[in-house]
Amino acid sequence: MADQARQVSSAAEVSTGTKIAFAIGSLIVATGYFILLDWSLMNMQGLDFFYMFRK
Amino acid sequence: MATVSKQARKKIGALLALGAFAGLLLLPLFLSLPTGASGETPAPAAPAAPAAAKASDAKPVEKSRDVWYKTEGPVVGAPAPKTTDSLKDYPRYNFESRVLLWVGLQQHLYYGSFVLAVPIFCMIVEYLGIITKDRALARKYDQLAYDFVKISLTAYSLTALLGGIVIFTFLTLYPTFFGYLSSVFRPVMATYALLFIAESGTLYIYYYGWDKMREGFLKWVHVSMSVILNVIGTVLMMLANSWIAFMQSPAGVDAEGRYLGNVWHVIHTTLWNPINVHRLLGNMAFGGGVVAAYAAYRFLTSKTDEERAHYDWMGYVAMFIGVCFLIPLPFAGYWLMREVYAYRQQMGITLMGGLLAWLFIIQAVMIGALFLTTNYYLWQGMERMRGAERYQKYIKYMVFVLITCFIVWLTPHTIVMTPAELKAMGGQQHPVLGNYGVMSAKNGAINTIITTTVLSFIMYQRANKIPTVRWAPLGTAFLFGLFTMAFINIIWLAIYGYYIPANVRVGLSVPQVASTLSCLFIGVILNSFMLKGAKDTGPIAWGQISVRSQYALIMLATAFTWMMGLMGYIRSSVRLFWHVNEIMRDNSPWAFTHTIGFGANMISFNVLFFWVTILFVFWLGSLGVKKVPVTVPAGQKVPLPASSH
Repeated sequence: MADQARQVSSAAEVSTGTKIAFAIGSLIVATGYFILLDWSLMNMQGLDFFYMFRK
Repeated sequence: MATVSKQARKKIGALLALGAFAGLLLLPLFLSLPTGASGETPAPAAPAAPAAAKASDAKPVEKSRDVWYKTEGPVVGAPAPKTTDSLKDYPRYNFESRVLLWVGLQQHLYYGSFVLAVPIFCMIVEYLGIITKDRALARKYDQLAYDFVKISLTAYSLTALLGGIVIFTFLTLYPTFFGYLSSVFRPVMATYALLFIAESGTLYIYYYGWDKMREGFLKWVHVSMSVILNVIGTVLMMLANSWIAFMQSPAGVDAEGRYLGNVWHVIHTTLWNPINVHRLLGNMAFGGGVVAAYAAYRFLTSKTDEERAHYDWMGYVAMFIGVCFLIPLPFAGYWLMREVYAYRQQMGITLMGGLLAWLFIIQAVMIGALFLTTNYYLWQGMERMRGAERYQKYIKYMVFVLITCFIVWLTPHTIVMTPAELKAMGGQQHPVLGNYGVMSAKNGAINTIITTTVLSFIMYQRANKIPTVRWAPLGTAFLFGLFTMAFINIIWLAIYGYYIPANVRVGLSVPQVASTLSCLFIGVILNSFMLKGAKDTGPIAWGQISVRSQYALIMLATAFTWMMGLMGYIRSSVRLFWHVNEIMRDNSPWAFTHTIGFGANMISFNVLFFWVTILFVFWLGSLGVKKVPVTVPAGQKVPLPASSH
C-alpha cells in the first residue's frame, strides 16, 4: 500500500516541463513511425508514397 | 497417493474422451471431402468382363476448362439447366417466390448468425471465468456464459426449423436451380448435414454437462468442448458461404456450368475467403448486439438493484465483445469489395457506383450510427465511475469530430436529379460537397471515426483509475503522441489522395487502416499495461447508468440487424439476372432489381419479424430464471448474477 502510494506520488511528481518534453518527444517518435508506416506499406504494394513530390 | 493416481486416471480418461469425441465429430468432414475432391463417382460393381474388352468399350473422358482457375478437368456434371418462365422451372403461388425465399433465408441467416456467435462468446467468457483469480468474478463470468448458451439453445431450434423451411421453399419454388446447385455441391451438402448433427450433439452435451463439469480439470474439458463446438459452427458457416460465393463468382465448373470434379475449386471461389472473414466478424458483432439488447431489456424490466447491476454488466460485456468485432468489420468489407472489383470490375461498379450505390449510402448512415451509438454508450457508462469527470470535458470535441466525419462519410458522390436541378447545381457533382463524396474523403472519415471510438474506449478504461507505474507520465505522453499523429496522418492521407492518380490513391487506404489499427493495438495494450496495479478512484457502480444507455444498446442491436439485412440484399442483388453469375440465368418473372423503397421495406419487415421472434426467445429464457431464488451475499465486490443454474 505504502509502495503504491509512493509510486502514485512519484508519477505525480513529474514537472510540467518534463511532461511537455515527453509530449514533444512522443510526437516526434510517432511522426517517424507513421512516415515509416506509410512509406513501407505503399512500397509493399509497389507504389510510390512520395509520388506527388517526385513528379 | 491413491487419490492422486485416481485423479490422474480421471484426467487421462477425460482427455481421451474429449479427443475421441472431437475425432468422431470431425470424422464426417474427413470422410466426405476426399471423395468429393477426387471428382470420382463411386464405381459400380465391376462386371466380370475381360480387361481388354473394357478398354475398347471405354469412352474417352471429356475434359473442359475451369471458368476461374483455368485448369483442365474431367467433365463429371451436367450443364447448368437453361430455365424458362414456366411452372416446371418456377412453380409458384400467387405471389412473388423470390420474396418468400428472401424472408425465409434472411430469418435463417439472422438466427444462424446468432447461434454461431453466441457460443464463441460463451467460450471467451467461460475461459475468462477459469483464468480469473477473483472467485466472485469467476462465478459471475461462468453464470454469464451459461446465460448466453441458454439463450442460444432455443434460438438453435428455431435456426434448424428455419433451415428446413428454406430447403422446402427452394425445392418447391426453385426446383431446377436447387437441383443444379445440389448436384455441384453434393458432397458439401452431405458434409453440412452431418456437421449440423455434430453441432447439435456438442451443443446439448455442452449445455447439459455444465453443472457436472464445473470444477477443476473437467472445467477445462468443458471449455475445450466449446472450442470444438465453435470449430464445427465456423466450418458450417464456411460451407454455407461456399454456396453463395459460388453463385456470385463461380469456379470449379466450365463455361456451361459442368462440374469438373474438383470440389475444392467449387468451394474455394475467389470471394469465399473475404465472405468468410466478413461474415464471421459480422456475426460476432451482430451476436454481441443481440445479447446486449437482451441485457438491456432485462435491465429495463429489472425489479431489484442486484438484477440491474447484473444486466448492466452483461450488456457492457456483450457490447464490448461486439464492438471488438465491429472495429475490423469495415476493413473486412473493404477487402471483400476489393476482391469483387478484382473479380469483375462491372460488378464492383454496379455495387458502389451504379444501380446499388444508394444502398451503400444507407449502409454508410447505419455504420456511422453504429459508431456514434457505441461512443454514446461508453460516455454514458463513464457516469457510473467516480473519477471519470476529468474526461467529460473532452467529449464535446469528440462529438464534433464524430459528427463531422459522419457527414463526410454519408455524402453521396452523385445524386439522382431532374434536369433543372442538375443545371442549378452546375453539374452532376456539387461544387463543394461533391469533394466529400469520393473514396479518399470517406476513407479518412471512417478511419477517424474508428480511431475516435478507440480513444473513447481508452478513456473508459482509465475513467476510474490512476496509473501507478513509474513510466506512467511517459506512457500517457506516448498515447497523446500516437493518437495525435494518427489523426493527422489519416487526414493527411485523405487530402493527399486528391492530388495523386487513382492507381496510387487506392494504395493509401492500407496505411490509413494501419494507422487506425496501430492506435487500436498499441494504444489499448499500452494502456492496459499502464493500468496494472492502478489506483482505483472508486468501484464501478454497476446498475447506476442512465436508461438512455440501455436504449442505445437496443439501437445498436437494431442497427446491426438492419445493416445485415441490407448488406445481404446488396450482395445478393448484384448478381442481377443470374442465379449463378454468367453460368445459369434466372428466367423467372422476378429477375429484376427491386426499387430501393421496396428493398428497404422488406429489410424492415425482416428486422421486425426477427425482433418479435427473438423477444419470444428472450421471454422463454426468462421463464427458467424466475423459478430460482435470488441470493446475493452481502459485501460482494462485483454484482452477483441474478440467477443461478
